[in-house]
Amino acid sequence: MKTLLTLGIATLLMPVAAAAETPEFARRKLEIIDAYAHYPGPGDAGYGQIAARLWKHEDAAWCSRRLEELLAAGPTGDMFWMFPVTAIAHLDQGQLTPSARQALKRAWKTYMPYRGDTENHFLLYYSTLYLMSQYWPNEGPGTWYTGKTSEGNLEEARQWIENWVKLTTTRGQGEYDSPHYMGVYLIPMSYLAAWAKDPAMRKRAQMMVEYLIADYAPENLDGLYVGAHARIYEDQLLERWKGVSSDFGWLWFGNGRRLPMPDNYVLYYSLASAYEPPEILKKIGTDRSEPYTHIERKRTRNRWRFFDELNGPVYKTTYVRREYAVGSDQGGTLQPIQEHSWDVTWSVPDPRGVQNTFFTVQPFSSIHELQTYFVFNPDPAVEGVVRSKKTYDSPDKLLGGSPYEKIAQDRDTVIALYDVPANTRFPGINGFFSKDLGETREDPGGWIFMKAGPETYIACKPLRPYVWKPIPDGAPGAGGRRLYSPDPKNGVVVQVAAASEYPDLAAFGRAVKALPLEITWEPVPRVRFRTLRGRAMDVTYGAEPEVDGKLVGYAQWPLFGGPFLEAPVDSERLLLKYGHMRRTLDFRSLTVSDGVE
Amino acid sequence: MAHLSLRRSVFLLLAAAPAALAADYSFYALMAVTKEYVVGAKLPPSGLFLRRESDWHHAAYNHPFLFGFDSDPADPSTLYLAAGNGLFRAARHGEEWTLLTGSDVTELRDVSVAPDGTIYFAYSHGIRVSRDRGMTWREISGGLRRKFTEALRVDRTKPDTLLAGGEEGIFRSGDGGLTWQLAGAAGIQITRIEQSPLNACLWLATTYEAGLYGSTDCGRSFESTGRLGVGRNLYDVAFHPSDPARIAVAGWGPGVAISEDSGKTWQFRNKGLPTAEVTAVAFDPAHPGRIYAGIHQEALFVSDDLGQSWHRDGLDGSSITRLKFVPAGGRTQ
Repeated sequence: MKTLLTLGIATLLMPVAAAAETPEFARRKLEIIDAYAHYPGPGDAGYGQIAARLWKHEDAAWCSRRLEELLAAGPTGDMFWMFPVTAIAHLDQGQLTPSARQALKRAWKTYMPYRGDTENHFLLYYSTLYLMSQYWPNEGPGTWYTGKTSEGNLEEARQWIENWVKLTTTRGQGEYDSPHYMGVYLIPMSYLAAWAKDPAMRKRAQMMVEYLIADYAPENLDGLYVGAHARIYEDQLLERWKGVSSDFGWLWFGNGRRLPMPDNYVLYYSLASAYEPPEILKKIGTDRSEPYTHIERKRTRNRWRFFDELNGPVYKTTYVRREYAVGSDQGGTLQPIQEHSWDVTWSVPDPRGVQNTFFTVQPFSSIHELQTYFVFNPDPAVEGVVRSKKTYDSPDKLLGGSPYEKIAQDRDTVIALYDVPANTRFPGINGFFSKDLGETREDPGGWIFMKAGPETYIACKPLRPYVWKPIPDGAPGAGGRRLYSPDPKNGVVVQVAAASEYPDLAAFGRAVKALPLEITWEPVPRVRFRTLRGRAMDVTYGAEPEVDGKLVGYAQWPLFGGPFLEAPVDSERLLLKYGHMRRTLDFRSLTVSDGVE
Repeated sequence: MAHLSLRRSVFLLLAAAPAALAADYSFYALMAVTKEYVVGAKLPPSGLFLRRESDWHHAAYNHPFLFGFDSDPADPSTLYLAAGNGLFRAARHGEEWTLLTGSDVTELRDVSVAPDGTIYFAYSHGIRVSRDRGMTWREISGGLRRKFTEALRVDRTKPDTLLAGGEEGIFRSGDGGLTWQLAGAAGIQITRIEQSPLNACLWLATTYEAGLYGSTDCGRSFESTGRLGVGRNLYDVAFHPSDPARIAVAGWGPGVAISEDSGKTWQFRNKGLPTAEVTAVAFDPAHPGRIYAGIHQEALFVSDDLGQSWHRDGLDGSSITRLKFVPAGGRTQ
């Protein structure tokens, strides 16, 4: 029986990061800040340049002048305006002129930021309102755009932030695992960890920074955020390196390569708490010496209509090894518009410009979906969405969930089944075949075998006839091919392996073709498949998958499970594990405990 | 034959009602210029607008999502705004805003204030009430299976009687929201509910795809009034303030439809409008033949001949969510 020896390092309301920054982390952080402080253009200097120079205590007169210019032009951007100016206020430290400070204070009366309609909007809004209400305490309602007092604002913001932390640590994050929006969760927590005066709020935020890093660490491959995502943009989906996650993976772990101009999310994170992960998290974020399966439970975005429960469960599975990662959720419209439900992402020496991913989707577009997650009226809805998400209502799209897609995964095998009603706007399925795939063979038996990157083999069996469509220049995924299969009852079986496991692609193909595969279509699609890893998958559309005769166990799915993280539902606790190292974040007691097993 | 009998009843109720007196009015519009807008982008002037002479005055703040408003019965210069950020009290004709709600409600859809000052609002996940001018709030949607509520009206003659429209039809409460009963349009999404200013027992409700519903028994039951708007989405309905037989409906596709015979027949009045995508409609109580219509992302349009001809009347580029005339001396009862 294993015992956990706690080393008595439980810290109540003490800073999480007592240790000084390592030289490597400090160098990377400074590189990010310098990229903004000394930004040569193109374009005019913005709030990011002001904040970076204030942090460096450089050119205070310019900072004041430029801040007044920007405010005089009129604030815009809602919560995306609030977070830069909150940083500027807290980095001022006597550098700004009284006139600039007054202009900033006036703006919080004359400009009303919209609070938004997503979790990231609310978190940015309330964390910055909290900090600014704390920054200007004891002000009357005439000072604020809300018409409330400083204390009224602070209390409203505190309630929302604390509720969000509790919901996240009991039922999972709603806007989960986004390679882009992860930054929008890290900024508020980094700010509160650095600048909240209430020790409990500061500690809670410090722990949440670590929680968010822990959420990312096991699902990154060379810094790329792999697996299923609540929200991702198409350019990041197809060229996986382009996410903000590349900046954070590089900053925290030295993984991969940062973006040429780091995103301002990593800038503002660095200007506030700039929390450097502890050693155990660095190990989890970088050690890919052994393959592992990591599972997570998240929750859907708020479903305003058509559901009895406001949030439904999301069950994620991510298999990671040095050569590649395979990740999935259970399928369905778990998030609107930008959901990405499954893929294979393979490692490449330099990911820049490389479309190192493979997946299929059912191109779903629906007023019903939009009305589920948004309150707006149906007629202008699609037009409004397409304004910023260009391919939402397109039959050749490669991004988005579908209620007619059900996914099962066991290690590096994925079975995706589709049962699309006849009146659906876009029937059929699309598969993304990257321009960067290597040798590709279409086997007469119906399998497609591919070499992906230097060290990965992928086998895909489309279960219905298909055609190839070129992806034209200028379109997302340009240079690659789109597999289109029109049958409404449809599916794919995907098996991945490391190239090192077989002499060559042909041998891999022979091994896959020898695997038992049974397909039936009525009344709903069903696949029984014995994987390369010797596991018997039995997947029926609309039913919980079985592996080796047992249900995969959605009812018992934890918030985190696997070799590195453990967190039961409703626990408000996260256990980090690496070798003999253990670290526990307990949000009920606001304590962090380090130990060894 | 239920439709015909309902229409006949509507006609009789309207014909028997006395005409309201026109007085001095403030004319407000809620709108947003959203053609290029996404959250975080620059927002052209949007929010609450007050008509001053021939111009529109943008009151107080820019806000992209204002969906409903009502006036304070004790002080008609004070408005209550159902907004994305929460419920605002907007005093001095909208110039002085105070947020009355907290972080636990979002994306408000409608607000209705009872003659005794009780405030009700509908939002993305329920309905709330305040009996102390917005100091404290209580959730009253517990009796509704699905919480999303788009339309809400308190009976102006009975402060505890509410009509609420959500994704599953029209629900009525006679006890201030403690209990709710399905009143009609079961399974149909409701967009707007209005009570006749001339007869408190007459109600109309617009829907997604199912046309116009009406009640002649004080909101206890609603029935379809016919084919108008069926298969399309209707967004607004207006009773004429003094002509009991005149009703206007706004919709996406139907455009502006006017009935001069209490809903027995309808005429589409879209000639001269740039599109038939109409989101709001209102009669001018001071000018019996004048009607306004909000055309999606175009402008406010006005007609002085009940929609036979139209011309632009400001608010260019806007999508208008609500138009309302508020009597300077308080509400018409």
